[in-house]
Amino acid sequence: MDQQRKHTILMVSDFFYPNFGGVESHIYYLSQCLLKLGHKVVVMTHSYGKRTGVRYVTNGLKVYYVPWRAFLMQNTLPTFYLTLPIIRTILIRERISIVHGHQAFSTLCHEALMHARTMGYKVVFTDHSLYGFADVGSIHMNKVLQFTLADISQAICVSHTSKENTVLRSGITPDRVFVVPNAVDTAMFTPSTCRLSCDEIVIVVISRLVYRKGADLLVEVIPEVCHLFSNVRFIVGGDGPKRVRLEEMREKHSLQDRVEMLGAVPHARVRSVLISGHIFLNSSLTEAFCIAILEAASCGLLTVSTRVGGVPEVLPDDMVVLSEPDPGDMVHAIRKAIVMLPSIDPYAMHQRMKKLYSWHDVAKRTEIVYDRALQSSDENLLRRLPRYLKCGSWAGKMFCLVMIVNFLLWCLLDLWQPVESIEEVPDLVFIRNEHEDVVHDSI
Amino acid sequence: MMSEAPIFHSKYSYHHDGKAQQLDIHEILVKRSRLGIFLSYSMVVVFLGTNVYFVTTKVFCILILTFFEVNIRSIWSILVCFLLAKFLHYNPVKKERVVIMPAFGVQLETHYWSGRIVRLFVPISKILSSMLNECVTPVTCYWSLALLLRDEGELMLVFQLIRSVQKLQPPLKMLVPVWKALRAAINCEETSIT
Repeated sequence: MDQQRKHTILMVSDFFYPNFGGVESHIYYLSQCLLKLGHKVVVMTHSYGKRTGVRYVTNGLKVYYVPWRAFLMQNTLPTFYLTLPIIRTILIRERISIVHGHQAFSTLCHEALMHARTMGYKVVFTDHSLYGFADVGSIHMNKVLQFTLADISQAICVSHTSKENTVLRSGITPDRVFVVPNAVDTAMFTPSTCRLSCDEIVIVVISRLVYRKGADLLVEVIPEVCHLFSNVRFIVGGDGPKRVRLEEMREKHSLQDRVEMLGAVPHARVRSVLISGHIFLNSSLTEAFCIAILEAASCGLLTVSTRVGGVPEVLPDDMVVLSEPDPGDMVHAIRKAIVMLPSIDPYAMHQRMKKLYSWHDVAKRTEIVYDRALQSSDENLLRRLPRYLKCGSWAGKMFCLVMIVNFLLWCLLDLWQPVESIEEVPDLVFIRNEHEDVVHDSI
Repeated sequence: MMSEAPIFHSKYSYHHDGKAQQLDIHEILVKRSRLGIFLSYSMVVVFLGTNVYFVTTKVFCILILTFFEVNIRSIWSILVCFLLAKFLHYNPVKKERVVIMPAFGVQLETHYWSGRIVRLFVPISKILSSMLNECVTPVTCYWSLALLLRDEGELMLVFQLIRSVQKLQPPLKMLVPVWKALRAAINCEETSIT
């Protein structure tokens, strides 16, 4: 069996630690598992407050916090060409072989992929969310995505629904899109050691209280369920603009003793909140994958969720009860879940989740995508330009112009600062001994 | 202590002298570019010329932006920007020297082309450690050598003593021997105290 080729991967996104979220944890866990497989991974993101420069996180994962300020919702200011020098420097000094961008909403990702393609690197893109087609924001976003995916080596989506959505939005051929689902850290999300009694049923909701996550549905569903079932209690964790509506609902129906509002729950405390309940309720209106229900299932909770986006693909039928995003249907689903509850064994559920989802499996599948990406042929600018022309009658020509200018700027930068003048970074080897961590370098 | 072979680079060269009377001397010399000097002086002349031109034309002509005037101004602006960029490559520093006196301290010297020398002495008891930092700016990354001092909030940079337009950014392979020598000197001091 021939040796697997080891890659040097640059993960680019606007979303990374110290921000917490689905994309952030995906990049972190995937990078850690790729490091364990023997590849070298470097992450590039923008600076967060005073956190700028180079940082090392667990297992020597190097993170570049490039001092470009975020301007809107954690996104870097889109400057088109100004990020070319720093991206070129990082790609050369770290000896990168593949650039992996995350999240269509990240401007830094799009710029990095554009510059990497101009310089001839192989690029992979992962899309984490579903987007619409109708409103102005979505139309603009889809056009940008079309530009990025016109000349990509491979793309990854987190569910089949997400693949369909990405293919329709960007016009990329489906055979270049792989489906690699997210996973959950089952070692961190374990069920409670003592089983909760079924006298009082606790339903847990942890999500951002925004429109997209169905907070308005909760406002309708909670009073109805409390009225129908006297032994049901709710725990609501999370914060957002819709929190006010939930508080008003509590006041109006006098549910202060039956609905507990926890506010924002730090990620480290999510497990302790989950294990205090029997059922997990997810009311999202749109979801490409939904890691939250994976975490709940790993903790042994039965899930009730809306049947939207990629949610039906996530859990087996005996672990989840699906309903339409309608209050009446959700109440009916909660009733069904309460009936199912005695037959649920949290430990058995946790063991099944361990087998079904693991980040190591995700890393191995992503490795296959990288191998496929590296097999694609190197092409010069003239062969690549026709792909951009297909993006639209006006847009196509504009995209071609953007790429030509990018290519010229890259040539100019090559003259100003030749490749030989950029030093490569020596590899750091981390050695652990029992008493302390010691860094040994190969200088 | 043996002297190491000098290391050469397009802009810098590194020399090490470990034999001189217990002192450990590391030098990084900056190569002077004649073109840089010429361009920096011409840039000054052009700047003055541009200002004089605009002042005189304002006095005699009406301020209407004709196509011809716009062209002249654009050419001047481009020329000025180009020369300004070249000026940024000009450096008045001749060499930077690190003199390590074991068990006593470290002296950081900056020698200028004009003959001026700026010296800074740091006693060995004040130095906790030396480190190589990777610095990231919005357009580039580079390595810098710094000293961590006792009771000080800021790191002291070894090769950036002066506030010049073009900061000294020697390559990593030149910084490593200096870093190793500083660490050896600091560790010797710690073991002699304990």
